[in-house]
Amino acid sequence: MPRIMTIWLPRWPVQRRLVENPALRKVPVFVCRRERRGVMVIVSWAWALPPWTKSARGGGRSSVPRIPSGMSLAEGMAVLALAHGSRACHMAEVEADDPTADRAALERLARQCRRFAPIVALEDAERPECLHLDVTGTAGFFGGEASLVRTAVWTLAAHGIHARVAIADTPGAAWAAAHHTERLDLRHTPPFHRRRRFAIVPPGEQALALAILPAAALRLEADVLTALREVGIDSIGGVLRVSRKSLASRFSPALAVRLAQFTGARAEPLAPAFGEELPRAAQQFDVPMSLREMGEDAIATILERLVGRCAAPLMARGDGITALQVRFERRADGGVQEPCPPVVIDVGLYRPSIAVRHVVDLVRLRMSRVRLPREIEEIVVEVVAAAPALCRQRTLFSGASESAAAEVGMLFDRLAGRLGAKAVFEPRLVRDAQPEHAWVGMPPAASASGSSRTAAVSQGPPTAPAERRPIWLAPRPVPLDVVAVVPALADAGRPPVRFRCGGEVHDVAAAHGPERIETAWWRGPIVRRDYYMVETQAGGRFWIFRRLKDGVWFLHGVCA
Amino acid sequence: MVTGGLLEKVSQAGDFAGFSAGWHRGDVVPTGFTPLDRLLPAGGVRRGSLVECLAGGEASGAAALACAVACRLASDGDRAGDTASAIVVVDRKGWFHPPAVLDWLRQRGASGWHAARLVVARPAHDADELWAIDQALRCRGVAAVVAWPRAIHSTAMRRWQLAARASLAVGLFVRPFVARREPSWAEARIAVTPRSGGSLAVRRLQLSLVGGPWASTVQLQERSVEIGLDLARGGEAMLPPWVAAPYVHEREQVACRAS
Repeated sequence: MPRIMTIWLPRWPVQRRLVENPALRKVPVFVCRRERRGVMVIVSWAWALPPWTKSARGGGRSSVPRIPSGMSLAEGMAVLALAHGSRACHMAEVEADDPTADRAALERLARQCRRFAPIVALEDAERPECLHLDVTGTAGFFGGEASLVRTAVWTLAAHGIHARVAIADTPGAAWAAAHHTERLDLRHTPPFHRRRRFAIVPPGEQALALAILPAAALRLEADVLTALREVGIDSIGGVLRVSRKSLASRFSPALAVRLAQFTGARAEPLAPAFGEELPRAAQQFDVPMSLREMGEDAIATILERLVGRCAAPLMARGDGITALQVRFERRADGGVQEPCPPVVIDVGLYRPSIAVRHVVDLVRLRMSRVRLPREIEEIVVEVVAAAPALCRQRTLFSGASESAAAEVGMLFDRLAGRLGAKAVFEPRLVRDAQPEHAWVGMPPAASASGSSRTAAVSQGPPTAPAERRPIWLAPRPVPLDVVAVVPALADAGRPPVRFRCGGEVHDVAAAHGPERIETAWWRGPIVRRDYYMVETQAGGRFWIFRRLKDGVWFLHGVCA
Repeated sequence: MVTGGLLEKVSQAGDFAGFSAGWHRGDVVPTGFTPLDRLLPAGGVRRGSLVECLAGGEASGAAALACAVACRLASDGDRAGDTASAIVVVDRKGWFHPPAVLDWLRQRGASGWHAARLVVARPAHDADELWAIDQALRCRGVAAVVAWPRAIHSTAMRRWQLAARASLAVGLFVRPFVARREPSWAEARIAVTPRSGGSLAVRRLQLSLVGGPWASTVQLQERSVEIGLDLARGGEAMLPPWVAAPYVHEREQVACRAS
C-alpha cells in the first residue's frame, strides 16, 4: 500500500517573502496582482505577528481578520482597518505577485525535502502550495509515520516556514487531510496522531476518516462545488454516498476523476520535475565504515571529491552553489540491523560559490556541531539550490575590491555555519519609536551580492538622534535600585539622585530629558516611558526610564 | 652591558609585537581624534594591529570610542586605496544597539566617505566568540573588528595578532581596566576614563596609555589626553581650549586615577 505525505504551505506567496525578509513579519503583507482597469486583487495575505497574539492564543478571538483571495486590495484594506485601525493599513506592505519566483522557491524547498523521501513532487496546480512525498517504506527510517510528520513540521519551522503535514494512501487524501488537520474525526485517528499541524490517516481508511471534511477538500473547481451545494452535498461523505453512475450523469467529469484519485481507484503518479536537474554525487561503502577510524581528513577528502563532482557541471554553465545538503546514511548505533534516519547537514551560502574548499569547510563547520553516527554506509552530497555565479571579467584596478567583497561573503558563510544563520546579521534601521524595535537584523545576503553594497547607509535617518541612544541596550529593561530621590521632585518624575547598578552606587550629576516614548494601542501592550540620559559624578552615562503607569524606574541602556 | 642586552631584548619584543618601523608599508590611519593620534605611538591606528580600550567602568564610553574609530577605519577604505569596508561587531553579551553606529555610518556616507557595512555576530559561547573574532580578523574585506570579550588568553590574542597582520584588519577590544595586568599582544592599550561635564551630544573622555612594548623605545609627546566624542557624528568634538590643552601625567598617577 503506497503512503503519501503531503506538506501544505499555507499562503505560500506571503510565506516566501517572509522567509526572504523576516522584517515583514511585523506588518501585514499583501501579495496582489493587477487586473483590468488597474484594480489590485489580493492573491494572498498574512500578518505573521499581529497585535494581541498572546491573548488570541489564550483562547480569545483571533485578532486577524479573514480576507479571502480574490478580494480587491481596497476592500481588504477596509477589512483590515475595521479590525486594527487605519494605522495597520499604513503599515501594510503591498508586494507584486510573482508566480514564477513562488514556484522556483517551492522547487528549492522540494529539493531540500528529499531528506525525507527520494520522490518529491509539486502539487499539480496552477499555483502550487503543496509538496507530495512518496514515503512508502521510508517512514520507518524516521521511527514511524508519527515521528516523520513531526520531524517534517519542526524542520520546516526551524527555517521559518509554517507547514501542515498529513500522511494518507493517496495524494488526494493526504491533500485533504493536510488542509483540514483540525477537523479530523478522533474516532478514527488515535489520539496521539492528532495534532493541529499534522495528521495521519490509517491505511485504507481515508474514506471513513475523511468523510466529514468539506467537499472542497476533493480539490474541486468552484462550479462543481456550487452544483454539489445545490443538491445538498457539502462533505466528502456525502459525495461518497452518491452512486458513481449518478455522479457521472449529474456532475462534471472532474468530480469523478477527483473522487477516484481520492479513494485510490485512479492512480495519481508523482512527477518530480524540478526544471533543470541539479547535480548529486554519492560515495557508497561496501561495508559500514566507522567514522572514527576513517578520521576527519579522510572524510574531508571524500567530501572534497563529491563536492567537486557537483561543482563541475555548475561551473560549466556559470552557476554556483547556494545551498547544499550532505547526508550520512547509516545503520543503527547499537549494531542492530534496523533502519535509521540519515544524518543531514544543510549548508547555505550567502552568495553562489564554486570554491570547493570553501564549501567543504562550511560542511566541516556544521559537522563539528552535529552528532555523527558511529558507522556510515553512504555519503550523499546534493546541490539543493544554485544561482548564477558572480563572475566578472577582471579589471586592472578593481580586482582587489571584488576579491575583498568575495572574502566578506565567505566570512559570513563561515560565521553563519558555526554560529547559526540567525546569529549573523546586518542591522537595518526601522522607523519605530520603541528602542527595542528600532532596528532589525537582516541576513547579509542582499548586501553581499555587491549590487547594494551601500545598503547600510542608504536608508533614512533614525527616529532619534544618535546621541540620544546608548551603544549597549539591555534586551529587557532592568529594574533600577533607586537609593535616593529628591522628595520635592520625585512626584514630578525627575530622575533619582542616587542609584545602584552593578554593585556600585552612582550619584547623578546631570540628567538630560525627559524623552517621552509612547506606543499606540494597536501595537499591543502600551509602552509609556520617560527616558533620561543621566551622567554620574564619575562621568558614566546610563539610559534610564520611568514607567508612567506606576512610576517604577528601569535601566535600559549603558553608554559603554 | 646588562642594560644594553635588556634594551635589545625589549626592542626585539617590540618587533615581535609588530611595533617596528616599516612593518606594514606605513599605512597608518588617523583615528579621527587628533589628541588620540598624538597619544598613539604610530600617530594613528596601524592597519593590521590590535588596540585595547581598557574601560574605567561599565559606562565609560570605551565601546563608543572603539566604534567611532572603527567607523573611521572602514570609511577610509577608498581614500587609502584599500578595499576593506566592513565592520564586524562580535557581541557575545547581546547588548549591542546598532542605531547610533548606523547613523554615524550613514552620515559619513552622505559626506562622501566610503560606504561601509556593519555586520553583527552574536556567538552563544565564549569559545565561539574567540573563534568569530579570529575568523573576522583573517578576512581581508574587514576593516575593523570590535568586540568586548570577557577573558582573552594570551595564545588567542597572539593568533589574532597574526591574523590581523595578514589581513590588515584592525582589532578593537573593549576590556575592563583590571585587564591591564594581563599580558597583551596589542600594539596600544588605552585606558578610557569618563569625565563629567560634557553635554548631551559631546562626551568628555580621558585617554591614557597603559604599558606596551613601545615604552622603552619611543619618546611619546604625551601620556594622557582628553578628547571630546561627538555622539551625534561619531567623530571628534571641539573642547574648550582650557580642556583641550595637552598635559602630561606620570603613568602611576594615571593608573591610580583610573582605578
